[in-house]
Amino acid sequence: MLWVDKYRPKTLAQVIVHEDIAQNLKKLVNEQDCPHLLFYGPSGSGKKTLIMALLRQIFGPSAEKVKVENRNWKIDAGSRTIDLELTTLTSTNHVELSPGDAGFQDRYIVQEIIKELAKDRPLDTKGKKGFKVLVLNEVDKLSREAQHSLRRTMEKYSAYCRLILCCNSSSKVTEAIRSRCLNIRVNAPSEEQIVKVLEFIGKKEGLQLPSGFAARIAEKSNRNLRRAILSFETCRVQQYPFTSNQAIPPMDWEEYISEIATDIMKEQSPKRLFQVRGKVYELLVNCIPPEIVLKRLLYELLKKLDAELKHEVCHWAAYYEHRMRLGQKAIFHIEAFVAKFMSIYKAFLIATFG
Amino acid sequence: MDIDMDMDIPLPEELELLEAESHLYEEPYIDSPPLDPSPPQSPPSRNLEVDGSKRSLDSIAIESPPEENKRIKRIEIEEEEEKEEEEDWLRYSPPQETEVAVAVEKDEEVYLSRYVSAIDGDCMPITAPSGGERVYAKISRAREDEGLKKLNLKDRSNGLIPEPVNVLLQRVDQEAFAKALEASSECQNDIILPETTVVHKQLWVDKYAPSSFTELLSDEQTNREVLLWLKQWDSCVFGSEIRTTSDEVLSALRRHSSTQHKKSFDSDFSRKSRGHTWSNGSYRPVNDMDHGTNNAKGMQDLWNKKSRLTGPPEQKVLLLCGSPGLGKTTLAHVAAQHCGYRVVEVNASDDRSTSTIEAKILDVVQMNSVMADARPKCLVIDEIDGALGDGKGAVEVILKMVSAERKPAFGKENDTKKKGKTASLTRPVICICNDLYAPALRPLRQIAKVHIFVQPTVSRVVSRLKYICNKEGMKTSSIALTALAEFTDCDIRSCLNTLQFLHKKKEALNVMDISSQVIGRKDISKSAFDIWREIFQKRTKRNRKSNTRSGSTYGEFDFLHSLISNRGDYDVILDGIHENILQLQYHDPVMHKTVKCLNSLGISDEIQQYVMRTQKMSLLVYQPSVAVTLHRIVAQVQKPTLEWPKSFQRYRTMLMEKTDILRAWHQKIPPYISRHLSTKSCIEDLISPLLHILSPPNFRPVALHLLSETEKNNLAQLVNVMVSYSITYKNMKFDSLSSGHEALSDASTLSFEPPIGEFIAYKDYISDHHALALAMKQVLLHEVEKQKILQVSTGKSVHRTDGFSKGDQDIAGKGASGAKSARTISAGAGTKNIENVKNITSTGQGNPSTLAVSSSSVSSRSVTAEAKQKSAAGSKKPRNGFDFFERFRKPSSKGSQEPEVAVVKEVTSERDSRPLLFKFNEGFTNAVKRPVRMREFLL
Repeated sequence: MLWVDKYRPKTLAQVIVHEDIAQNLKKLVNEQDCPHLLFYGPSGSGKKTLIMALLRQIFGPSAEKVKVENRNWKIDAGSRTIDLELTTLTSTNHVELSPGDAGFQDRYIVQEIIKELAKDRPLDTKGKKGFKVLVLNEVDKLSREAQHSLRRTMEKYSAYCRLILCCNSSSKVTEAIRSRCLNIRVNAPSEEQIVKVLEFIGKKEGLQLPSGFAARIAEKSNRNLRRAILSFETCRVQQYPFTSNQAIPPMDWEEYISEIATDIMKEQSPKRLFQVRGKVYELLVNCIPPEIVLKRLLYELLKKLDAELKHEVCHWAAYYEHRMRLGQKAIFHIEAFVAKFMSIYKAFLIATFG
Repeated sequence: MDIDMDMDIPLPEELELLEAESHLYEEPYIDSPPLDPSPPQSPPSRNLEVDGSKRSLDSIAIESPPEENKRIKRIEIEEEEEKEEEEDWLRYSPPQETEVAVAVEKDEEVYLSRYVSAIDGDCMPITAPSGGERVYAKISRAREDEGLKKLNLKDRSNGLIPEPVNVLLQRVDQEAFAKALEASSECQNDIILPETTVVHKQLWVDKYAPSSFTELLSDEQTNREVLLWLKQWDSCVFGSEIRTTSDEVLSALRRHSSTQHKKSFDSDFSRKSRGHTWSNGSYRPVNDMDHGTNNAKGMQDLWNKKSRLTGPPEQKVLLLCGSPGLGKTTLAHVAAQHCGYRVVEVNASDDRSTSTIEAKILDVVQMNSVMADARPKCLVIDEIDGALGDGKGAVEVILKMVSAERKPAFGKENDTKKKGKTASLTRPVICICNDLYAPALRPLRQIAKVHIFVQPTVSRVVSRLKYICNKEGMKTSSIALTALAEFTDCDIRSCLNTLQFLHKKKEALNVMDISSQVIGRKDISKSAFDIWREIFQKRTKRNRKSNTRSGSTYGEFDFLHSLISNRGDYDVILDGIHENILQLQYHDPVMHKTVKCLNSLGISDEIQQYVMRTQKMSLLVYQPSVAVTLHRIVAQVQKPTLEWPKSFQRYRTMLMEKTDILRAWHQKIPPYISRHLSTKSCIEDLISPLLHILSPPNFRPVALHLLSETEKNNLAQLVNVMVSYSITYKNMKFDSLSSGHEALSDASTLSFEPPIGEFIAYKDYISDHHALALAMKQVLLHEVEKQKILQVSTGKSVHRTDGFSKGDQDIAGKGASGAKSARTISAGAGTKNIENVKNITSTGQGNPSTLAVSSSSVSSRSVTAEAKQKSAAGSKKPRNGFDFFERFRKPSSKGSQEPEVAVVKEVTSERDSRPLLFKFNEGFTNAVKRPVRMREFLL
C-alpha cells in the first residue's frame, strides 16, 4: 500500500488538513440533521477522504465494508430500451456511483437508477428507520438534463435519502442543485498544511527529514496533497537518507510538456508547429485531458516569457480553452493556441531585435 | 499475327471492322451525296436522299425498280447494280442480317412494271423526279417485311438492338402499312416524303449509342486493350477452331494499311449511325470465311500453334473505372458483343448478395443457352462499387473464383474449362465502377486488370454531338457544343440528354447561358483527395481558362463551394485540411496565415459540435465556406503532397485503448483504494511516482537471504504496493523464466501488467525511470504471486478463526481485510514496519488479528529477526518466504535443497500430526515441484 492510502485519515477525528470542515461535519452528524452535501474543490484536496470519514462517522465501521457491484440496468425510455452498465460501490447503508460514466445517457441513470436506489428505504436491525446515503462522484460531468432530473429526486426522497455530491468545480453544477445542498468547499491544502502532513508521515515512518525538504516537495506538488505524498514516497524510494537538495522526480507528462514549450520557444514556424502537434497527440493519446495540457503548456510558456507578453498570451489561452470546450477536436484548438503564441512571440522578437 | 505482341498496331479486329466498313464505302452514296462513289446512280434515289430519310430511301431502293416507261430496262440494270452493291455488303453482315439478306435475295425476282395491271397484289407507284416516269412496284408482304426490317435495324444502329425482334417486326409492319396507305392515298403525288416522327420516341442516348467498336468515343488505347483482353479469352472460350478462322481474317485485315485505319477512325463519326452490321463478325466463321480468302496458309498454321499456347489472360477480371458518362458500360457491351459474347449484365438494380452473384457467375460460366443465342456469355457487373455491402458480396465471389483458379496448374485450360469446375472463372468478367478507390474494391484492384477511363477529347465529343444534331435537324454551333461538352466534363450522356431536351423544347443551345439553361450542373462528387488538392492548389491560368466559370474570384469560390458541398463529408475534408496544412509551403513570416487557418478550423469544429449537439443540420451549410477561406489563404501553385488524415483516427482509437486499460486496471484495484482515485487523477498524479516507487534504484538483485533488514523491509513494502494496486509482471515467454535468469535477452520479457509503463512512454521522451534488473523482476513476480495466494488464504482463515476472536472480527470489515493481509505480509517478511501499520489501522478498531501468530509477533515487539525466529520456532510460522527464495535461486543444487527441507520438517514437526499433504503439480519454478504442506502456504 502506498503512503497515500496508508496514512489516509479514516475518521473525522484524524483529519489533519481540513480540520475545520471535519469539525463542522461532526457536528452535523451529531445533530442527526444531515442535509444533502456538495463537496467541491480541486483534485487532491481531500474531498473523498472527508466523505469517507463522514460516512464512517454516520454509520460506524460498517461503512467501510463495501463491495463492488457491476449491474446491468434495463431502462425503458419510451420507444426503446436502453441497456446500461454501471459499477457501484455499496455498503449496507450507502451506495457510491459515478453517473458521469454513462456519457450522454447519464440522464437515464439519474432518472431511473438513482431514483430506484433512493426509493427503498433501509431498516436497520433494531427496526428504527435509518436513512441511506447516495454518493455521486463527478457531478460536474453530468449533462444539464441529468442535473435537472436530479433536483426532483433530491426533494422527493429527502426523508430517508441523503445525497452527497462530489465534484471539482461547482460552477458546472446548476444553481438549482447547489441551492438544495450544503456546499462544502474543500480548498487545496496550503503548503504549510502539506508540510505538516509530510512531517507527520515522516515521523510515523521513522524518517529523518532535513529541514526545508518537505517544503520543497510541497511547493512542487502544486498544492495537491496526493501528489505531495506520492512524490515524498518516491523520494524515499530513490534515495533514503534525504538530502535537502535532493531531486524530486517530476511528473513525466509535465516534463514532456515543458519539452514542448522549449521547442516552441526555439523556433516558430509551421514546421515546428507540426512537430508540436505530434507531441501533443502523444499526450492526448495517453489520456492526459486536453485542458490540462493547455493549462500546463501555458504555465510552462509563461515561465519563459517576457512580462509584457504574459497578459496577451494568457488572454489567448483562455480564448482557445473556451473554444476547446465548445468544440470536439481538442487538437485543433491547442494547435491554434500554439500557432497564436508563435505568431505573437515571433512578432515580439522581430520588434525587439529587429 | 500474335495478338499479345501487336499492341501498338491496330488490332486485327479493328482492321476487320474497317475492312467491313471499307466495303460499305461503296454504299454511302445513299445518304451522303458528296461521298458518292457511284456516279451512274439513278437520279431518283439521289433526290430522295436529299430529303433526309435514309430509311424511306432504302425501302424505295429496294422497291423502286418498276418503271412505267420504256426505259424500264435501263432502270432495271441500275437496279441490278444497286442490288449487287447491296448484296456485296450484305455478305459481311452478322447473323440476323444475313437472314434478311437471303430473304431479300430470294424475293428479288421483283415485280416491277409500268402498268399496275402487270402486278398482281398490292402495288405502289414510284415516280422518278427527273424524268417524271412512273413505275409500279409490287408490294410483297415477305419482301417488304424483310426489307423494312433491315432498314429498321440499320436505323437504330444495327449491332445492338434494344428491343426484341418480334417487337421490331411488328412495328415495322405497322410502319410499312401506314406508309403504304399513305402512298396509295396520295398516289398522284410525285414524291413520298419520308416520315420521321417515330424516332422521337427514343432517347437520343439510346438511339445513337455506339453499336460498333469504331464508334466508341472512349480513349482508343483503352478500347483496344479491353478488346485485346477479351480476345485473349478466345482460345479457352471458343476453342481453337473458330479462333483460327477468325485469325485468317484478322491477319488479312492486318495487311490493310494502317493509314486507312488512322484516317477513318476519327472521321468515322460523320457516318456513325449508319448501320454497320458486322459487329459480330469475328464470331461468325461463315461470314468471315469468304471474307478472308486471301489469307496465306502458312500464317494460319503459325497461328494455330500460337493460339493453343495462349490461355485466358493473366488477370481474369477486368475493372473499368471512370466518372459517369464516359462510356464504360457501352464499351463493355460493345467489346463483348464484338468478340462474340452474349452480355449478361448485373447492375445495382439487381440483387447482388454473395449467393445470387455466385449463382449468376456459375450460370454464366457453366451453362450454355439452349436457345438460339448460343453464344458464350460474358458477365458485366456494372456499378460494382455502388452499394458497399452488396458490392462486397460480388467482389468476394469473384476473388474466390479467381483464387480457386490459381490453384490448379495453369496451362491445360482447354480441357478443364469445358468441364466447368465449380469455382473457376472460365468466362470473362468485366467489372465497372466509378470510384476505383472504393474500399470494397481494394482486394479486386489487386487481381484485376484495371483500366481508368479518361475524358474523351472535347473535339471528339463535339464532332459526335454535331453529327447527331445534324441528324436530328437541330441547329447548333460548334462553339455552343464545345461549351456544353466542357460544362458536362465530356459526359456525352448528359450532353445528349440536354440536347434532346432543348430540341424538344424547340430551343437552341445558347453559349451564354449554358449554365443557367436547362441543364443543372452535374452532381459529381469528387474524391476527398481531389478536393484537398483543389483547396491547396491554386488553379493555374490555363486551368482556369478551361474552366469557364471560375474565371473570377466569385467563380472560384462558387466552384470550390459546390465541390465541397457535393462531397458532403465535411468531417473528413476538414481533417484532411488539418492534417496537411502545415506541410504546405506558403510564405508566412509571422505565422499570421497559420493562425488564421487554425482559427477557421476551430470554427468549423465548433460548428460541427454544435450541429451534432442540437441536430440543426441546416447549419452544416457553413462548413464549406470555411474550407474556401483556407483556400484563399494558403493555396499555392505547386502541387501539394497530400496524406489521408490518419492521425486523428489513430489518436481516437489509441485513446480508447488506453482508457480501457486504465479502466480495467482501476476496477481491479480493491475498492478501498480505487474509490479515492478517479481515472483522471490516476494519470495525472499517480502513474509517474508509482513507476518510480515500483522500480527503486537501490535494489540489489541478490538472493533474498543476503539482503539486509532494511532491504527486506523495502522489498516487502514494494510487494505490498504491487499487490494492493494489483500490478504484477507479465512475461511473454513463460519457459524463459524457469530456464534461468541470467540470459540478458530475457530482459524485455518481463513487463508491467497492466502495462502502466506505456502511459509515460511518449515519443522522443526519455524518462529517468530506473529499470529493474530482470532477476529483481522475477523475484518480485514470485513474491507478488505468493502474496496473492496468501491473501486469499488469509481471507479464508479469517472465517476459520471467527470463533476464536469474535470480538475483533465484527469490526474487521472487508475494507480492513486488505490492511490485515498487508500486516501479515510484513510479518512474514519480518519487518519492523508492522508496528506502524498496526498503529494506524488499529486505532479505533480494536486489535483485529486474524491469526494467533501475528498477535504474538505484535506482542513481542521485538526486532524483526528475533520475532521471526521466535515465531518460526514457537508457533506456526515457517520460514516460508526465505525457503522459497532460496530454492528459487538455486534450483539446480539438490544438495543444498535437501538440508533445507530437513530444516523445514524439523521446524514444523509438531504440526505434522495433521496429515493433509498437497502435491504440487504445477508451479512457478521447478523448485516448487515437491510435496508441500498446506500450512506452508498459510504461513
